Amino acid sequence: MSAGTGGRRQRHARLRLSRGLAAARLVARGGARYATSAPRLFAAAGEQREQLRNDLALRNAEDIAATLGTMKGVLMKLGQMASYVDDGLAPPVRRTLSTLQDSVPPMTAELAAQVVAEELGGPPDQVFDTWDPEPIAAASIGQVHRAITKDRRAVAVKVQYPGIAQTIAADLGNVGLLRSLLRVAAPSQDVNALIEELRERITEELDYLREAENQRTFAAYFDGHPTITVPKIVDELSTARVITSELATGARWAELLTWPQAEKDLAAETIYRFTFRSLYEMSAFNGDPHPGNYLFRPGGQVTFLDFGLVKYFTPEELKPLVHMVRYLCVDNDPAAFRKAMEDADFLTPGAPITTEQVIEHMALFYDTVRTPGTRTMTPGYASAVARRYFDFRNPLAAYARIPKSYVILQRINLGMFALLGDLAATADWRAIAEEIWPFVQAPPSTPMGEEEVAWRASRPVV
Amino acid sequence: MTAEVFSTAGLVERAAAAFTASVPDSPADDGFFGPGSVTWRLNGDLSAPVAGLRSLLVQALHPLAMAGVDQHSDWRADPVARLSSTAAYLVTITYGDKASARRAADRVRKIHERVRGTDPVTGRPYAAGDPDLLIWVHAGLVDSVLAAADAFGTPVNAPDRDAYVAEMTAAAELIGVPAGRAPSSAAELDAYLAAIQPELALSPAAAESTSYLLDLPGLDEDTADIWRQVGGAAAASLPAWALDLYGRKPVALTAQYREEVRQVLGVLDVLYMGEPGVLEARQRLELRMRDAQRADEA
Repeated sequence: MSAGTGGRRQRHARLRLSRGLAAARLVARGGARYATSAPRLFAAAGEQREQLRNDLALRNAEDIAATLGTMKGVLMKLGQMASYVDDGLAPPVRRTLSTLQDSVPPMTAELAAQVVAEELGGPPDQVFDTWDPEPIAAASIGQVHRAITKDRRAVAVKVQYPGIAQTIAADLGNVGLLRSLLRVAAPSQDVNALIEELRERITEELDYLREAENQRTFAAYFDGHPTITVPKIVDELSTARVITSELATGARWAELLTWPQAEKDLAAETIYRFTFRSLYEMSAFNGDPHPGNYLFRPGGQVTFLDFGLVKYFTPEELKPLVHMVRYLCVDNDPAAFRKAMEDADFLTPGAPITTEQVIEHMALFYDTVRTPGTRTMTPGYASAVARRYFDFRNPLAAYARIPKSYVILQRINLGMFALLGDLAATADWRAIAEEIWPFVQAPPSTPMGEEEVAWRASRPVV
Repeated sequence: MTAEVFSTAGLVERAAAAFTASVPDSPADDGFFGPGSVTWRLNGDLSAPVAGLRSLLVQALHPLAMAGVDQHSDWRADPVARLSSTAAYLVTITYGDKASARRAADRVRKIHERVRGTDPVTGRPYAAGDPDLLIWVHAGLVDSVLAAADAFGTPVNAPDRDAYVAEMTAAAELIGVPAGRAPSSAAELDAYLAAIQPELALSPAAAESTSYLLDLPGLDEDTADIWRQVGGAAAASLPAWALDLYGRKPVALTAQYREEVRQVLGVLDVLYMGEPGVLEARQRLELRMRDAQRADEA
């Protein structure tokens, strides 16, 4: 330690970095063991599993810190976000991290009640008419209880783990370790941009006030929509650590998969319309297309849950996206498309590659909407898109990047296409897109489109 | 084939396998400590890897104890196996039932019978079964578990500290320390460690073995890095007299350093939990500890 302060600091920074890097690599490798090592935690079935979860429930802030502190919570979040971080993250690693997440037991009824009391000013059985102490679902940093309000509304109450914000904040502060984890998990990405995005997103997700506000915005926009439901927030029962919203019912993703294809197609159409109406009309993108965040009813009825990860785009951020799709798919103007990519900082201006190469590389992302006609989404297409996204041997790779504001959009490719692929959903996606594209606004192409016209006509002008 | 022997998987896998094999499925009794003990809690603390390495660093400072290891053990042929079997022993006597704990202790005592010789440094004869040496090794472990927990795990309050030292005398007796001779309170432990100072030294064998231990050759880059970090934390938590003997400068245990070590230990713990059976074994222990706590409160 003979070096001056600067040298010492530098060395310290290097040390932190290497500390994290090794740990990260080991997690990436250790994940391989998960794949082969069944049965896992809570592997017991049914009632026995529930009993075990209850017996091991988180009793206090110390239990929560032990379970989710020292990077464990951050690793779980990383696993949850893995789909949008990098498809290159090996499936076993993703499984490791999601299994880790599944392993978190719920809070005891007493602890959940304590949070409700602190946040809403009284124990749940006083604040609510009826309170179900048994959680119905695990949220990533909390859990969901059913309740009935004093004015007899059935609601879902999401209760945050006490102390989780501080617990995770400390680990998010270790940028060196995070950087190393991501460098291993997502070697092909701009790690600094990703860290910033991840930290922002996690911080936002911890902020229930913000999540409730997001949900209000989406609920207001889609109010009265023929197939899209966003549960309304109960304002007076929502705080920084508790969100109360109308109770939604419906089938889970796994059940939808057993429904007739026509129903799956309709559900897919609703998800598609939701995604692109939000993007083009609300300049908002709900970045969490996780199968657990939807409830389904026949006729393409979909309830959207969980608005913890919403990205709002500025007009300047949205404009190049609109231009790109327009120049490639409608105007068929490759030079203008390339220019739009350069303007958005996706591509280095003047890169020594031909515009044909640019188009060839990028066209896959627009494959479902470049030409009219009915197409079936497949898991193969979804993974081809993902592979192309992370194909860094491509000549374009040296000149292409994903600016920070667009990182979350990867979820469209890697998340939504994967969901629609799993549904093997068939539609004329181009025709639906044309209804939504602000520069086309085509007439309805499907019965759902017809109903949307009526919905839009009935909406107050915003 | 050294890379094969020392693979990462080897380190975490074999430690985990030792752990899962040593936590009983259906114990005949609660063993020598029981689910309500401080020992159950502390021996499974996040800081356990640091405690383990610190123990070895402390124990090596007694020339006779060191000579026994140096002249009779081929641990360098497969250090991971040796570390894993030591860990398995501790898990068995901590969480196993009395019969399993006695069996494990008897096996070690049998091995100790053959470990005799003359220390080349002091010229003194030694025997591994000598209660004085057994107490030394025991005290090194007990002190290290407390120090590592304080520095990087869940800090131990004064009553729990006394309880832990007292409870752990059962472990000392299992291995052959006559009843009443092992330190049975925190003050006795400190007094013992102060009194034994004149006998301690960094023998050439200790210097060589511990530097080998802290920088195990043949580990792949990532594992070696983690290993050095855990070793660094173990060294940082050494008492002043041990640092003196090793010629190491004290490291400031700042809040930031503590946090960083804990984060690395947490990532290691995730890896460990990824091994087959580890979580299930931990759950079995956690359920028994919670039952004991409830019974205690009732």
